[in-house]
Amino acid sequence: MTHYTISRTRMVSAMTIILVMTGFTLTSALGEERAAGPLRDPLDPPPYRMRALQLSERAGPMTTGTEFNPAISVILDFTYAHITHDLDDPPGFELGGHHHHGHGHGHDHSHGIEEGFNLREVELTFTGTVDPYFDAMAMLAFTHDHVEIEEAYITTRMLPAGLQLKAGKFFSDVGYINKQHPHDWLFVDQPWMREYFFGDEGLNEVGVQMTWLPPTETYLRFGVEVLQGETEGIANYIGDGHHEIVTILPDHGAPERNRWQAEKELREKDGPRLFTGFAKVAPDIGLNHALQLGAFGGYSRVMQLEEAHSSGRLETWDGDGWFAGVDAVYKYDGQGIMGHRNLVLQAEYIYRELDLAYKSRQFETFSSLVTTDANDQKWRQDGLYVQGVYGFLPRWNAGLRVDVLGLQNDGFEGRGTREDFGTSWRYTGQISYAPTEFSRIRAQVSYMDLADDDHNGNDHDHDAWMFVLQYNVSLGAHGAHAF
Amino acid sequence: MIKRIVSTSFGQAHSGGARFCVPRTRGSASLQKSAKLEGHASACPGLFKMLVSLLAFAGFTAIGYADLRVVATVPNMGMLAREIGGEAVEVRVMAPPNRDAHFLEARPSMMAALRRADLVVAVGAELEIGWLPAAIQGANNRRVQPGQPGYFEAAQAVELIGVGKPADRALGDVHPSGNPHFYMDPERLVEAGYALAQRLGSLELEKADYFQDNAERLEERVAQRMPEWREKTVGAPGVLLYHEDADYLLIRLDVPLLGYIEPLPGIPPTARHLRTLVSELEGREGIIWTMEYQPADGGRFLSRELDWPAVQLPSQVSMEGDLDEYFEMIDNWVNSLTATE
Repeated sequence: MTHYTISRTRMVSAMTIILVMTGFTLTSALGEERAAGPLRDPLDPPPYRMRALQLSERAGPMTTGTEFNPAISVILDFTYAHITHDLDDPPGFELGGHHHHGHGHGHDHSHGIEEGFNLREVELTFTGTVDPYFDAMAMLAFTHDHVEIEEAYITTRMLPAGLQLKAGKFFSDVGYINKQHPHDWLFVDQPWMREYFFGDEGLNEVGVQMTWLPPTETYLRFGVEVLQGETEGIANYIGDGHHEIVTILPDHGAPERNRWQAEKELREKDGPRLFTGFAKVAPDIGLNHALQLGAFGGYSRVMQLEEAHSSGRLETWDGDGWFAGVDAVYKYDGQGIMGHRNLVLQAEYIYRELDLAYKSRQFETFSSLVTTDANDQKWRQDGLYVQGVYGFLPRWNAGLRVDVLGLQNDGFEGRGTREDFGTSWRYTGQISYAPTEFSRIRAQVSYMDLADDDHNGNDHDHDAWMFVLQYNVSLGAHGAHAF
Repeated sequence: MIKRIVSTSFGQAHSGGARFCVPRTRGSASLQKSAKLEGHASACPGLFKMLVSLLAFAGFTAIGYADLRVVATVPNMGMLAREIGGEAVEVRVMAPPNRDAHFLEARPSMMAALRRADLVVAVGAELEIGWLPAAIQGANNRRVQPGQPGYFEAAQAVELIGVGKPADRALGDVHPSGNPHFYMDPERLVEAGYALAQRLGSLELEKADYFQDNAERLEERVAQRMPEWREKTVGAPGVLLYHEDADYLLIRLDVPLLGYIEPLPGIPPTARHLRTLVSELEGREGIIWTMEYQPADGGRFLSRELDWPAVQLPSQVSMEGDLDEYFEMIDNWVNSLTATE
């Protein structure tokens, strides 16, 4: 995780930037007026009946993708961030999360926010209908140093009985926010729940999904997913391989290079390793309201972690895990223009249990490790968030979010020894201005209050403020958003 | 002055607590096609068995219905489907009349309706592009996929204005495929009616003549009213619109269109644009038209500055509206022009 430094002057300059940006958008005059004056229908229509008879031949284009090119959209996401205090990950979530030592830094942080300016990502999306049987979409995320396939999948159009199959790489449909792309988030960053129980990228896997909608008056949707199993927070997979360090001895005189190498002894398991399911119900509560309730869960055959120390000591965790949760979203359509009076309330809760065999091993010879410590660990942890966003003026909305990690945050070692890692909280407020549905400027402030895991009593080490400015624009044919 | 001549009712349901409208004619048709539509359970016996109890919970009512299930995007399309489909269809409408169909969001209850639909009747020309594709994608219903007989866009059947405008959003929320609000023109509505009759006839072969007759009846009824509307609007002073929507009616009735309160499509009025309109239109006669769902402040300001009447009226019938209600709606727009003389 990136470390941050305090700077009051930066805070001030950030404030200046937001004031200038807001003032600019408010005062900028729009466009030039259109030519006024009478219009005339250039057509002298033939009798209706004749025209109707020709319809089958002269049907114009449908508006949902009968042009051969896929719809292309580009999304730019730019932020300026300032954080007042160095913070590590919330206690209890360093290992299961994505930032554990030795590996976190190698990972992509495309959705993370770093101090200063960030071109977080450029998303390039292609969507279209392949043929009468399939729709397809591909989304590439470009960050400053690499390109990643965020999603690439097909969905069926012609399966009977309310079934739909999705295959490829996609965001799992568990919960509500997991399948949203960063530009759909109502805050600059994702809830802790998604970040720490799944990972920076959420639960995003290669696999297949089958959904079923029964033909009921009330909206019901059931789905199962069979996934390769690589998600950091629940299905991290390393497999067997070599643990290797190179030492140079002695530190004076003629140096001798030594290679220490041994098997990690982590299980090899072929995919698919992660299985999930979800159910959603949306009672019909009127034309201006929408409510969706969901429940979800998943089981991972493999959950592996490792931590390699420069001393050559290797810590590994190898086991399995499951998670379950519930989600709820309510939307009120305020019937105003440009989002005025719209309200979105959403909340999700997740619980996970990891059963891991822990081993700490040290090199004994150049090619073998000896176990110095081993036990069976069980982790029981949960997390939730609640958020609400309201359109207080046309084009403007403001929102509040509360994140909680570790209401239960227990690690059990062997038989009986329980360690409680404490509860961490984050409070976030945001205000957004969207000139049109294609552009948005947002300012967000968060206060993080992490659990005191080393019980040193110095609470100031565990809290920090984060301030972020963001703009987000969408170019091109940006398609309809799913609920 | 802003007057609200017709109040619309929406969100009122006939039966079962559903909020979609249900036609008055339900249950009276003689067609039997239920087996064809929902006989797929054998494709997934295990899953089906498991979830039967949940179905009961959710009010599984799909057994034994007789009509073609039509889901219309906006109330005017629901009205058209009811006029053409008559007793052979059961129509539901997804968008309430007091909402701008450009800016809706796909909701799960739309998907539930689409899941069981035999036919979707949309306006088309990108009016519903922000929500209909997502709703259809989420409905898991192969019958209503675009390209299938169960997907109908009325705008395909009529000549649209503004086709081929540059697809440049610096010009606002433009529709290169044409202005979608054709339903404001009763004659284009008739054309769309014929196309819909053809489509319904292809879905329900035995009833093709019935649908065709209904389309002809629609044409006759519109033809009866047109002369009166034309006569009333002769010499009308001209109309300033909020958005490019009533253009079709004005063109049909040869009423001058004086401009738009929006500086660009989809962009709310700015003070500068309003001032420009005032200086351009000062001294002329005119009237300001604003749709029910559009903000009235710009029109109110111009009404004061130019001393023009301003009216705010619905452009959609109510959720269960029929052709009479549509005529009443056109009457109201037309009468607002004559009232100024």
